[in-house]
Amino acid sequence: MTFTVEVDQNTYLPAGVGRVDAIVTVQAPDTPVAAPAADGLEIIILDCSSSMHGDRISAARRAAAEAIAQVRDGVAFAVIAGTATAEQVYPPTGTATAGGRTRAEATAEVQRLRANGATAIGTWLTLAGQIADHHGADHPGRLRHAILLTDGQNGESTGVFQSALDAVVGRFTCDCRGVGTDWRVDELRAIASALLGTVDIVADPADLAADFRAIMSAAMEKTMAGLALRLWTPRTARVKFVKQVAPTIEDLTARRTESGNLRGDYPLGSWGAESRDYHVCVELVPGVVGEAAVAAARVSIVRGDEVLGKGDVLAQWTDDTALSTRISRGVALYTGQAELADAIQEGIAAQERGDLRTATARLGRAVELAQAVKEATGNDATARLLAEVVDVDPVTGTARLRAEASKAARMTLDSRSTVTVRVRG
Amino acid sequence: MTLVCPICREPAPAVTDRFCELCGARLHPASADVADRVEVDLAGLAGISDRGHLHLRNEDAMALGRRPEDGSATTLAAVVCDGVSTVRRPELASNTAAAVALDALLAGGADVSGMTAAVAAAADAVARLAPGVPDGPSCTLVAAVVDTATATITVGWVGDSRAYWLAANGDARLLTADHSWAAEMVAAGILDAHTAMRDPRAHAITRWLGGGNAPEPGTTTLSPSAPGVLLLCTDGLWNYEPDAPDLAALALPVATRDGPRAAAHALTAHALDAGGRDNITVVCIPINSSGGSAA
Repeated sequence: MTFTVEVDQNTYLPAGVGRVDAIVTVQAPDTPVAAPAADGLEIIILDCSSSMHGDRISAARRAAAEAIAQVRDGVAFAVIAGTATAEQVYPPTGTATAGGRTRAEATAEVQRLRANGATAIGTWLTLAGQIADHHGADHPGRLRHAILLTDGQNGESTGVFQSALDAVVGRFTCDCRGVGTDWRVDELRAIASALLGTVDIVADPADLAADFRAIMSAAMEKTMAGLALRLWTPRTARVKFVKQVAPTIEDLTARRTESGNLRGDYPLGSWGAESRDYHVCVELVPGVVGEAAVAAARVSIVRGDEVLGKGDVLAQWTDDTALSTRISRGVALYTGQAELADAIQEGIAAQERGDLRTATARLGRAVELAQAVKEATGNDATARLLAEVVDVDPVTGTARLRAEASKAARMTLDSRSTVTVRVRG
Repeated sequence: MTLVCPICREPAPAVTDRFCELCGARLHPASADVADRVEVDLAGLAGISDRGHLHLRNEDAMALGRRPEDGSATTLAAVVCDGVSTVRRPELASNTAAAVALDALLAGGADVSGMTAAVAAAADAVARLAPGVPDGPSCTLVAAVVDTATATITVGWVGDSRAYWLAANGDARLLTADHSWAAEMVAAGILDAHTAMRDPRAHAITRWLGGGNAPEPGTTTLSPSAPGVLLLCTDGLWNYEPDAPDLAALALPVATRDGPRAAAHALTAHALDAGGRDNITVVCIPINSSGGSAA
């Protein structure tokens, strides 16, 4: 199995400058060998707290049924109902193997779910971790995935929640969905980020079933788990950051685990036949003008100690400013999109705490950046989401928060702030 | 065989391909940018720079010029530099310094202030190669500018590359004073020449271009009363033949008969025959005392 690793960068640096930026595109093979079904595990975690009462719990039941229907024959699965505690809905313990009978049984159990209780997401994750371990602890190659649905804020203390989340990192991946507008984007983003999954809002419960079907369908496309990006840097270098920048922005810098002399591994989660981009930024001791290019960083994609692909980030110093001032298109656009995501999140957070001056400034900046992304790529998805939340006077450039903007619009913007437009060429 | 990285000088522990596993340096850089031997003959002055027998590349450099460029030249100039081999990319320093100093000499006055300005320009250019790099490129320099109308020679130097006046009837002499540990010990009266030269530090230079230095060059002028040959050279030659009369005996007859390029040939061949342990660079400029160069 061979991954393609391509590096987009300007290798030329001016004298005295040591910062090297590169976009590393990792492409999985087009036709990966399908993982044996028995390797996979799917866990569906449904919020059954009192706030889910009415439309939401019935939508959650339908959505869970859709997800169960997508689980491929032979894949292990389980369903958890979450309140102040976590209750395993199906099977009673351990995991079931997907098939006609187990899918029907699971769907029937899910239809009996009622909304009644509090929200303690940490306990839900803990149970999911136990089920994942039961399925096969210490087999990093196994695909273990969860969908988590909630509609409200977590009731646990930050410490309790954080230690529960920390304890399950690496044991399964998790896509998170918030239904309605009473949940917190930052809470679900923290879970999705730690567990290498996605976060999104489903404002209307009626859309939940289609969304769950799509998530589970995408999960079934994954064939490889436990991949990592291994980064070698020279001994005088400092890694400033390693970020996934497409399809979404995810800062991996703090996830590094040392894997040898001058080497560290950053977890990449599960992969299907897909491609992702990473922004690697390294600070070197500046070298000598005119010397041959040096290796600033060497990237390999590994599963355990098996190397699936590799690429080199280079640096050479020049006094020709025509060479050193070129910025790679990928580095420029992803840097802009990362700043855009930060501006949106900071702007919305400021607005929520009533700091309207900061909110206006940050969201105004976001509009500028989104416009630049639109001009460079033709993609205006973020610009359109922003336009529902903030107005910018086309003449004066003054930003104004839209008083009539719905909470759902703000949460949608916040949830999708990390979704990037792919840069090519 | 254990490979040693040319840049960080550490044994490379697991060389799988082309980069050092510790510092990231290219392990087998293309070296086509430096020739093993360069010969320049401008009719009136000529020079040879040779890799020698033992070094893997030539880290010496030279630059020769005349102004105006046609036969009526009234200014001749030459620069010889020796890259300091314990730093990174010394040949870059020597080539840069030689080229920049020559341009400055041909553009400026053929006197001590012109020489000082040319050395400063060269030092500045070398420093800009690698700002902030502690072991960045460095080199020595010896340069001469000749006003042929008046047969006035101005010499400037930094480090241990030398200028000699080669003339008959006992007038041959060394024009420069090395900026080296041994020379400074002798000049300060601390050690005698014999003892100083036997010290392991004897050849360590005390002034150089590069590494953020703004070295003060040594300068001297000469208005010869009899014809002779001005010789600029690196220690690849004078380590084997340090005394001016011996060098004069080697070069003068050939220069008189076959011109400066032949004289440079003879001196280079002498150093190569003697062992050629270092890079060798030799520039010969015949001078007529009566005004104008001999060629």
